[in-house]
Amino acid sequence: MEYAIETESLTKQYRKRSGLKRRSVFTALDGVSLKIRKGEVVGYLGPNGAGKTTTIKILTKLIRPTSGRAYVNGVNVAGSSQEFLRHVGTLIEVPGIYEYLTPHEMLTYFAKVHRIPSHEIDSRIRQTLGLLNLLDWEHQKTGTFSTGMQRRLALAKAILHRPEILILDEPVLGLDPQGIRDIRELIRQFKSDGMTVFLSSHLLGEVAEVCDMVIFLDKGKVVRSAGINDIVNSSRFKAVKVKFAKPLSGEELHRIRSLGMVKDIRQADGVVRIEIRGEAEASYQILRELAAMGFDIFSYNPDVLGLEDYYISIVGDERNVK
Amino acid sequence: MATLKIDLYDVYLSVRFELTKHRRRKRIMIAGALAILVPLLLYIGYYLGSDVSAVDFASGSTGFIMLLVIVAGPMFAGDAVSGEFQRKTGLLLFPTPQRRVSIISGKYIAALIVTLLLVSLYYVILTFQLIHLFGLSEIPGDLGKSYLVAVLYASSVVSLFFFFSSVFNKTIASVMVGIFVVLMLLPIITGILIAVDVEPWFILSYPAQLVIDVLKEGSGGGFDGEFHPSFGLGVVVMILYTLAFFLGSAAIANRKGME
Repeated sequence: MEYAIETESLTKQYRKRSGLKRRSVFTALDGVSLKIRKGEVVGYLGPNGAGKTTTIKILTKLIRPTSGRAYVNGVNVAGSSQEFLRHVGTLIEVPGIYEYLTPHEMLTYFAKVHRIPSHEIDSRIRQTLGLLNLLDWEHQKTGTFSTGMQRRLALAKAILHRPEILILDEPVLGLDPQGIRDIRELIRQFKSDGMTVFLSSHLLGEVAEVCDMVIFLDKGKVVRSAGINDIVNSSRFKAVKVKFAKPLSGEELHRIRSLGMVKDIRQADGVVRIEIRGEAEASYQILRELAAMGFDIFSYNPDVLGLEDYYISIVGDERNVK
Repeated sequence: MATLKIDLYDVYLSVRFELTKHRRRKRIMIAGALAILVPLLLYIGYYLGSDVSAVDFASGSTGFIMLLVIVAGPMFAGDAVSGEFQRKTGLLLFPTPQRRVSIISGKYIAALIVTLLLVSLYYVILTFQLIHLFGLSEIPGDLGKSYLVAVLYASSVVSLFFFFSSVFNKTIASVMVGIFVVLMLLPIITGILIAVDVEPWFILSYPAQLVIDVLKEGSGGGFDGEFHPSFGLGVVVMILYTLAFFLGSAAIANRKGME
């Protein structure tokens, strides 16, 4: 099977001078292997310094790996020319903008580099700038642009040639809430168009909203990869939040705790959180038992463990922090 | 063949993009103003009473071409590559289907075009001044040779600045080192070699003297009257400087990672 993006034991080490003569080696990536299928939207998550940008720079031929291989669309990145990037759109870190040029001038150059036919360039630029709410600034010098506008222009450059694969490094960095929502909608649109999107971020909410799959990276290593649905499903029935007609007494709490499928029970701010042993069925069984015990229940909802909790639990596990 | 065609088109695109940037940054206007003002001031100086021949006027005027080249070098080549790293615009420019060497070649050619246009503008103005002041028949016969040397010297200086621009990631470092080498290091080495009675034919600032010397052949010139750069050897040395430093910068920029 040919993957959109594939890496094999990708390792990147930097030599750092830590004194007059001593040099230490810093491992930014440590044997990272990824497999991303065509048409998938994949979130690449990790704390600052985890190695996300390093991976992306290797995939886009900006740096060379110390060892291992990277393939984009089946092409060995290190062993080929830049040609494979004709079908790839990139937004990496916070790129500088040619501040003395207008978006039209800058994008015209990149359109020609990607061999967009001359008669289509103007309409394509207008269409792309329109998608990113920059059309009114098409002929203004970019030097006056805010950080968010510069980011949107860089994204316009990334999607101008309608790439098959879009590699985005922290795409919503510096954007206002409206800008974040716009980008999220764009990614959804790309997904429905069949584009592969590889998205690095530390904003878990963004990733959860748009991605099919998440890869967790920490200290240069992949610590877990899972489908978003699997993460949500695996955590959905771990606890329920119950609102009773009146606060429960210690005895009542004890009676509920004694139910076989209840792992733990806590009451705070009028809400009782019951941790469950077992799968979804246990949740329904507890509800039936509570009703049978004569409790008046206002609401009974699964307490979904968010991606953030999942992420913390993974990174915490890796760091032996519980 | 098809790859070469793609690469040449990418070089062409890069040249056009760089020329657009130079135009927008108004650097061309500043350097162009210098190329017009300096000969104009010399022209005014002539009217204020100096009694010089056409050869003296031409050689005096061409002496300033060195200044123009040393101003144009850092302006158009000094930050051509380092600027992409320092301002992080390389994160937009490099992850594209163009080979790095095509981008770099385009940048170099654009810097060369602008610098040579300025040198040419300077010589066109000088020629018109000579015609106006002394008549067509008095134009020094070797003005063409002087122009050729000026063009080669400008190419060498552009290559040198371009080389340092590829070596460093900070524009201030690339420009300052370039200026130091062209304005101080090379002349100092030339001076030391002459002092120890060694002809510095291989140091760029020595054959650069030919810009003036070819106009005054048989009437002195050179360094303290002891050494006179040979025209043929000087041309070869400057061509070698141009090629060697351009190829060196292309090799460095091609391998350079955007960490």
